[in-house]
Amino acid sequence: MKSALLARSSIRFYRSHPWQLTLAIAGIALGVAVFVGIELANDSARRAFEASSVAASEQTTHRLLPTGGALSESDYRALKRDRRYVASAPVIEAPITLNLPDGPRLEMTLEGIDFIEEAAVRGLGGLLIGGGDPIRLLTEPGTLLLPDTLAARFGIASGDTLTLRAGANEFPVVVIGTIDDQRDLAPRLVTDIATAQEIAGMRGLLSRIDLRLDDASAESLAANLPVGSVLVPAAAEDQILRELTRAFNTNLTALGLLALVVGMFLIYSTISFTIVQRWRAIAVLRAIGLDRRELLTTLLGEALAIGVVGTLLGLWLGRELSEGLLELVLRTLDDLYFRRALGASDASNWIYALSAALGIGATLVSALIPALMASRREITSATRSRVERGAQVLAHRFAWAALPTAGCAVVILLLADRGLWQAFVALFLVLVAGAMLIPLATHALMRLIERPIAALAGLPGRMAVRGVIDSLSRTGVATAALTVAVATVMSIGLMIASFRVSLIEWIDTTITADLYVDIDPDSDRDIETALAEIDALPDVVGISRMRMTRIETPSGGLDLRAAAAGPEGYGVDVTAPESVSAEQALANDRGVLVSEPLAYRLNLNPGDGIDLPTATGLERFEVAGIYRDYNTAGAQLIMSLDSFRRWFDDDGLSSVGIHVSPGTDESTITAAIRQSLGTNNRARIRSTSFIRDISLVIFDRTFQVTEVMRLLAAIVAFLGIFSALMALQLERERDFAVLRSLGMSVRQLFGQNLAQTGLLGLTAGLAAIPLGTALAWLLVHVINLRSFGWSMDFIVSADAVLAGVAMAIAAALLAGIYPALVGARADMGLAWHDD
Amino acid sequence: MTDGQGIELDSVSKSYGTQVVLNSASASIAPGEFIAVIGRSGSGKSTLLKLIGGLSSADSGSIRHGPHDLAQMSESELTLFRRRSLGFVFQFFNLVPTLSVSENVQLPLALNRMAKPDALRRSADLLDRLGLSACADRLPDQLSGGEQQRVAIARALAHEPGLVITDEPTGNLDIDTADEVLSLLIESCREHRATLIMATHSRDAAERADRVLRIVNGRLEASE
Repeated sequence: MKSALLARSSIRFYRSHPWQLTLAIAGIALGVAVFVGIELANDSARRAFEASSVAASEQTTHRLLPTGGALSESDYRALKRDRRYVASAPVIEAPITLNLPDGPRLEMTLEGIDFIEEAAVRGLGGLLIGGGDPIRLLTEPGTLLLPDTLAARFGIASGDTLTLRAGANEFPVVVIGTIDDQRDLAPRLVTDIATAQEIAGMRGLLSRIDLRLDDASAESLAANLPVGSVLVPAAAEDQILRELTRAFNTNLTALGLLALVVGMFLIYSTISFTIVQRWRAIAVLRAIGLDRRELLTTLLGEALAIGVVGTLLGLWLGRELSEGLLELVLRTLDDLYFRRALGASDASNWIYALSAALGIGATLVSALIPALMASRREITSATRSRVERGAQVLAHRFAWAALPTAGCAVVILLLADRGLWQAFVALFLVLVAGAMLIPLATHALMRLIERPIAALAGLPGRMAVRGVIDSLSRTGVATAALTVAVATVMSIGLMIASFRVSLIEWIDTTITADLYVDIDPDSDRDIETALAEIDALPDVVGISRMRMTRIETPSGGLDLRAAAAGPEGYGVDVTAPESVSAEQALANDRGVLVSEPLAYRLNLNPGDGIDLPTATGLERFEVAGIYRDYNTAGAQLIMSLDSFRRWFDDDGLSSVGIHVSPGTDESTITAAIRQSLGTNNRARIRSTSFIRDISLVIFDRTFQVTEVMRLLAAIVAFLGIFSALMALQLERERDFAVLRSLGMSVRQLFGQNLAQTGLLGLTAGLAAIPLGTALAWLLVHVINLRSFGWSMDFIVSADAVLAGVAMAIAAALLAGIYPALVGARADMGLAWHDD
Repeated sequence: MTDGQGIELDSVSKSYGTQVVLNSASASIAPGEFIAVIGRSGSGKSTLLKLIGGLSSADSGSIRHGPHDLAQMSESELTLFRRRSLGFVFQFFNLVPTLSVSENVQLPLALNRMAKPDALRRSADLLDRLGLSACADRLPDQLSGGEQQRVAIARALAHEPGLVITDEPTGNLDIDTADEVLSLLIESCREHRATLIMATHSRDAAERADRVLRIVNGRLEASE
């Protein structure tokens, strides 16, 4: 009976105050929607990645890889003869160009497999046949399976003939079916191994051998490896990508959680306002015998109902949102790490459950503070001034609590010096500590500007300033919510700006040549002769040579860049030790430079050793230095080309950099280079400006998803401050009615109210500068380092800071327009009687 | 506008939905007169004051302050009218909580664009005469009810309006304080030659008025 009456009272209150109800529901719905959207998109991408990795390595425990070039088929036959290694399958992997009829030329990977042997190693689980009979691959040479999305996109059907180009040669192939690439990490063309060997020009050679081994067999094989090969666990290859993907997802999840935190401010603001608004009624209920616990239960019950409705709405919105976000997430992963298409998969239902729990939990936590304050307040302390005095006391307590909160963040960072989640917890603690300081900072700033504002704008100006101070219970929360949002947006802006500047500097350091030529290995002209001819051209001042190769080490796959210095050196930004140049580091025959991501992942420092599989077996090299590398986000190391040739018995070149005199015409020198390379040479020549431009395009595209998240967080923050300002104006209607009665015009009152919201925006903007800078510092020096292993210069860009302050003021003013108007049009009759 | 000129109410009617509050109420109020408006709760006293003060508009009839018909005035003209010619004293004081006592008194002067030194001087004079000099820098919630109402009187008279409208100014005060505040209000209005219209339930307050108007069934009747 009692509960029913109380519930009815609550329902009637919200029915007559639809604004508050709408804002509370909107706050939690938006927070949940952003979180769900991000998590669904993340999970879908993650599951696609997991599924493809599992598919690719299903039952395969190890891979035998060449340390340079290719494996010999005879090695495979020898292996097969040993019963311990009978579960093994040969694989050809070769880059080819697929010429589509009336379509683009696609750079793809051709994979040749032995269907009979493959079944023993990974079944055909790693190759999901979407249509067609794969046995025809065995019986009909020159046939292949096409990724089904590719077939659908270009309208290719079974029986169609396509042209594959490998080097200078072209091969007609017939499509006999499709493979399901939804679960495939690397969409590829699949054919029989014999066909692949012919197309790739690898007769008698293999790219790798997949094996299914128990521990003893693996140990035995590792001890007796064929010359020029290395045995690696199958899982190691994808480990780096897996870690990077997880780091990227963690970053996005943190952003999603942030939206939920800002949503919590909205809930707190709304619930606390509804309590203040009903304080008289609540005091009456308490006076007639409702105890504190019953009051608390009633208020939390209301919050629960709001939380459930808001969360359900948020789940639905989040699902809609995730579709757009998924595309951005996949594109980012594709651009940043995989460099190959990645499909989506259905998301897990647990995300809905987790989000629902978070949404309802966040609502209850947000409502708990005002509900506790209401239930603990003395019945007689109903006056607003007492409430505000209480708020000012609370502001001081929060400010004192900020110090240990920030201290906890530092301790967590020091104790877990590599943990990413711990870093995010510390980041959130810093954010919370900053938010805790805001009410007191608002109070202090208003005191500071009161006199100048009063001197400029007279009593109305003074009223605007004091209105902020005297409604600290509202303005403090509104400013804190806005500060949190602006500081976050500002910090991400600063991080991106720092990253962009560092990237540009890195590109300028790394790309020292004016033109880059990718060597065509199938050219019939001797490359060194051609290069000598190019070097002799009048505008050419030098050539830098480079060999890129993939090597498999006991700790995973690495990209090895063997380089010969050009006229401007190696073009490497050595970050540790600072006093060592790349030239000094690579002068040692066993000296290698290690990329920052690799150094971070393997915890390598200058002077440490790293084992690399050379032509003569594993050899230990010295980490002579660590260099900045944003190229692959993966693992790369550099050694001098001379050392590489000695250790790896590989004289090939992957690309060369051509350094030309200033003012040289690009098209003229390009034509001259092409002539030297030979008329049938299909080498790709790219200018530095092209590489630089494309890098920045990819960079900007990579951060599009972050931009969307920033926008969503800003919308939630906007609603947060709108709610708080609306509450403030409604609460002060009587004051406005008095002022109107005294002769203040609607315009004057509107201006005063808007000035007040502008002051809140200014406070939030100013407070966001130190907070946003601190968060940006953490993002640059801790989060990015722990996520990706990247170091970057921390640059406080004035643009990002000013944009943040402007955003805070603009958001506050925009959010304040309607509430200010409501306040200015207050019914003057309200001045005549008490509530 | 009201200064030195009378107020004429002619057949003024006002309803809230189906509830008729004033029904063809008419009255004539001379300049400097002290009028007490009495009537039962809900009889329309506050509505009448709001109509006279231009805070609300009548459904029919006219309210004239001298030659000016309130119904013919725009929103901004009404605002100016209130700002220059009216002073209000409310039952619950309604001082601006964010302004000090002195600033509350200066507020109508500031709205009327009086120079700050002049406004300071006048507020200091008024507060001195009302015995509030010691409280000048305090905030309203640091004052007693009686003190707050005295500040409200000072604020209502600061810009020397021709008409002071007050609704139960002593309704929230104890008997002794109420008497003191009422005397102060009446004396101050007489000193400033301001017309005073007061809605009240208090027989004592009504007895001190020059004339008493009673609202009965929405009409204004002279009371003995």
